[in-house]
Amino acid sequence: MESPIVITGMGMISPLGCGVKASWDRLLDCQSGISPITRFETDELPIRVAGAVPDLAADPEAGFDPERVADAKERRKMDLFSLYAMAAAEEALTQAAWMPSGDTEKMATATVIGTGIGGFPTITQAQNTLVTRGHRRLSPFTVPAFLANLAAGNVSIRYGFRGPVGCPVTACAAGLQAIGDGMRLIRSGEADVALVGGAESCIDSLALASFHAMKALSTEQDDPAGASRPFDQTRSGFVMGEGAGLLVIETLAHAEARGATPLAILSGYGTSADAHHIAAGPEDGSGAATAIRLALRMAGLSPQAIDHINAHATSTPVGDRAEIAALRNAFGEALAGIPISANKAAIGHLLGASGGVESIFSALSAMHDRLPPTLNLNQADDDMEDLDFVTGAARDQATQHVLCNGFGFGGVNAALIVSKV
Amino acid sequence: MSRRRVVVTGLGMLSPLGGNVKDTWEGILAGKSGIGMIEHFDASPFNTQFCGRVKGFEATDYIDRKDTKKMDMFIQYGIAAAIQAVEDSGLEVTAENAGRIGCSIGSGIGGLETIERNHTTLEKSGPRRISPFFIPAAIINMIAGNLSIRYGLKGPNIAITTACTTGSHSIGYAARTIAYGDADAMVAGGAEYASTPLGIGGFSAARALSSRNDNPQGASRPWDRDRDGFVLADGAGVVVLEEYERAKARGAKIYAELTGFGMSGDAYHMTSPPEDGAGAAASMQNAVNDAGLNATDIDYINAHGTSTPNGDRAESQAAKSLYGADYKQIRMSSTKSMIGHLLGAAGAVEAIFSVLAIRDQVAPPTINLENPDEGCDLDYISGSARDMPIRHAMSNSFGFGGTNGTLVFSKLDD
Repeated sequence: MESPIVITGMGMISPLGCGVKASWDRLLDCQSGISPITRFETDELPIRVAGAVPDLAADPEAGFDPERVADAKERRKMDLFSLYAMAAAEEALTQAAWMPSGDTEKMATATVIGTGIGGFPTITQAQNTLVTRGHRRLSPFTVPAFLANLAAGNVSIRYGFRGPVGCPVTACAAGLQAIGDGMRLIRSGEADVALVGGAESCIDSLALASFHAMKALSTEQDDPAGASRPFDQTRSGFVMGEGAGLLVIETLAHAEARGATPLAILSGYGTSADAHHIAAGPEDGSGAATAIRLALRMAGLSPQAIDHINAHATSTPVGDRAEIAALRNAFGEALAGIPISANKAAIGHLLGASGGVESIFSALSAMHDRLPPTLNLNQADDDMEDLDFVTGAARDQATQHVLCNGFGFGGVNAALIVSKV
Repeated sequence: MSRRRVVVTGLGMLSPLGGNVKDTWEGILAGKSGIGMIEHFDASPFNTQFCGRVKGFEATDYIDRKDTKKMDMFIQYGIAAAIQAVEDSGLEVTAENAGRIGCSIGSGIGGLETIERNHTTLEKSGPRRISPFFIPAAIINMIAGNLSIRYGLKGPNIAITTACTTGSHSIGYAARTIAYGDADAMVAGGAEYASTPLGIGGFSAARALSSRNDNPQGASRPWDRDRDGFVLADGAGVVVLEEYERAKARGAKIYAELTGFGMSGDAYHMTSPPEDGAGAAASMQNAVNDAGLNATDIDYINAHGTSTPNGDRAESQAAKSLYGADYKQIRMSSTKSMIGHLLGAAGAVEAIFSVLAIRDQVAPPTINLENPDEGCDLDYISGSARDMPIRHAMSNSFGFGGTNGTLVFSKLDD
């Protein structure tokens, strides 16, 4: 029997704050990370709210302090998504106590950090510079700052990790696919330890305008904290979020041999394609159901064994319905008995980072037997009334296995099962 | 875990030397350059005024005219190369096997031209004029996404971005997916279209590009003393990989076996390798180990060889460290001397050249190598293609961020 793959460290930057503990405590406490956008002028934009990572001024306790991550000179070379990844990496590696100094350990450490969009804000700023001031004013760091794989690149350089460096960019499934890729690298013997997850930062006028053009975003402005309403009858689109979620993973045998504490087990992973439509799944949810079944098969579990579902649920009318269809397809009658939460109600949609962040929340549910509440879910949609959504407050429940879903444009599906040690 | 064998059964390509594999390969073996002056926008204010543009591409040969408007050129290139590869392979997708066939096609940059255009729209006309097709036209996983829809491929759907290593990683990842049983066949590769004002301007600002404007076809000169940077180029390369028994059972034409894949990180610098090429050497060694070979078994290396001062020397050092005392056996060439650097497509296009080198038992040349630089003292197949026995060929790719990938292809035993 292969030694199971376990999580030994977790790091997070989210709209609810910096650090796993701050984000988790606030999530359980029904706080919202969604607020009016203040980072740039939104007068001309149809979108005025987002889940921005708070800065120190807004949140002295858990705000993001770029100074702590990199000095001013280094920051000029990095887009914000890279900085978030650096901060989350520091937290995860510290918790895992994985800061190897030996060549062998560094060579055996993989870095796989997915992103949906990469350094989009750097591209739009550079285009501005090019058009208004000419090519001579372009920063030499333009390209390395916007490249999607540079979150992984920068982290690997800082810690000297010389194993495989990867970056899936499968839209909103990227974070979960990065975790799946890391599991494979460990199984194939290409790495002993992998730092995996996702990072995203695209609260940018062009990004917001473009997702708006797809009619994917909620345009509500009056009540920012109420704008993201997964599974609610009145949901009207997703709210853009940003941040990073990274996990240190290794085999249990490897963790025990070095005296590291296993936090949770990654017991199953599956990925599939809808092959249906670039921006919507098939009505029967068959593609996503396949990913879930593959994850269950790897975990050796029956659907009934799942105690909690951390849904992808972005708060779009079509997407949430398709996910429920997929869950019904995979779980059948058993679904009604499995409590479901949607973290995006509180933090918005972190695109390529959402799989990283939500897999950490899933692990915490298994570790602490607590299920996070779904904010703003007042009246479940008509065809979901029979389901058990965790609303109102966090719920205490013995939790062995949690399913975490991630689906992306292009019809790509990923599912991860996180289990109690 | 037991591993299954993976073979190459289909090839597709668009490059500065032609709109398909055959034309490109003929140009490569003839030592032709596909590089030319930039004519598609006014590059006169730029330090670099030339690049490699795809020749002989008609989008409507592959994609409905109305759909082309919803796809950045890199997506169109990727789809076209994939269609060529799937047709070449004779792969048939049925209701029974669809879940076992997937896609792994990436890009280093993605839809830069589309982002530039929509940024201008936003500035000039406001957010309400942004096209609803902007995001799906620009994001990198839409080659794999569109292909899965076109052919009904329901297996793993992957898009990897690792800068200039994208193509190699995408193919290597796909091979792993088959080897470990998650799929039976994968359509894999990379595509790029970065010859835009911001692409040329951005890489130029990073001092990565050659500025030999008076001689574009002589600008990409790997290992030459007077090399001054890489030549940016567009294109796509896609292969069909299949599990060996499956390919044999259906009587597929098998080009070569993908026997080895290795990766590593430099953990050194965002845009340059360490002088000794340690990261590159680790990637090559991992691939050779994966193939169960010794370095000296490799008959031909298709180098990353971009024509940058640091990169070329580091790669030579890496190869030498791998072969040790036997380094004079190394036969290594850079096809980038002829087609330029296709960034995220480079690894895929060059994997195809490595496969064809095995098929035709010929090593493609390095052109423009007039005065080998100090520290660059290997046999680079300079000047013209060379007929030689090639049983095992290696293809290297190294990218910004210090990410390395190496593929090994082998002649299938008769």
